[in-house]
Amino acid sequence: MVDDICISDVLLAGAKEVFETMIFMDLEEASEPDRKIEDDAMLGSITFKIDFEGNMQGCLTICCSTPCAKTIATNMLGMEPDEEISEAEIRDALGEVTNMVMGSVKTRVQDEVGNLQVSIPTVVSGRDLEYSLGDGASKISVIVSLGDEYIADISWLCREAHKLNRKREDKQA
Amino acid sequence: MAKSLMIVDDSATMRKIIMRTVRMSGLEFDRTEEAGNGNEALEKLGGGPVDIMLCDINMPEMSGTELVKEVRKLDSCADMRIIMVSTESSQELIDGVVADGANGYITKPFTPEKFQEKLTPFMN
Repeated sequence: MVDDICISDVLLAGAKEVFETMIFMDLEEASEPDRKIEDDAMLGSITFKIDFEGNMQGCLTICCSTPCAKTIATNMLGMEPDEEISEAEIRDALGEVTNMVMGSVKTRVQDEVGNLQVSIPTVVSGRDLEYSLGDGASKISVIVSLGDEYIADISWLCREAHKLNRKREDKQA
Repeated sequence: MAKSLMIVDDSATMRKIIMRTVRMSGLEFDRTEEAGNGNEALEKLGGGPVDIMLCDINMPEMSGTELVKEVRKLDSCADMRIIMVSTESSQELIDGVVADGANGYITKPFTPEKFQEKLTPFMN
């Protein structure tokens, strides 16, 4: 049952729905998947718990450069690109994007894995940002291009995450 | 007929986005209010009801589901329409909150067309 879910595809589809509906930015899987976010960055995260095969716990994160997060916020709020926006508003917007992508992912997987209980999103900023769940956790990342200019890292961390990605690996083999 | 709207969401950014999307939907309200959580919404409703409330579910202090139950205890808000706006999409949760007194449900992400579809029946 859970093996039928390809979490990378679900992350892409969920993020695409949110970015194209509410942020008016095209989102595609990046053609250069090894490209890194080297500037000052922001990372939105939301933790979840799934009562499936025991207590699976994990986290969905979205990491992008600060200029990218600003563009996301101004697009969401319908502001002009050069209009003043506070860092608090940018953080709030990235948190909401993370929350909506989680909701979109949840809608796509809950028939298979049951209800996901999710937290309220948090956002941090800095350089070389990385979220860790410690030893034993798996991480599935999708690098996406946003419009022509930006990239973002959308990741799913979970102790059983490798099971959810089996189908994609089978497909690629 | 003049209508009033209250948006209840703990994210100030999301309240702005909802307000913008309502405007884009072509629906017009002569009075709009905002609240950052259930307690603040109840305090504002103490000063008088609104016609339509758009309400998030996952909020600190008092969740949207608790707010619906509290609002339905108020005689002054008996005719108020409550539409939940949330990323939560499980049918069980939607059925539960409708049973508690909500009049509709909009899932995030949303479009102006979705607001028009869900709110227009309550505008006359």
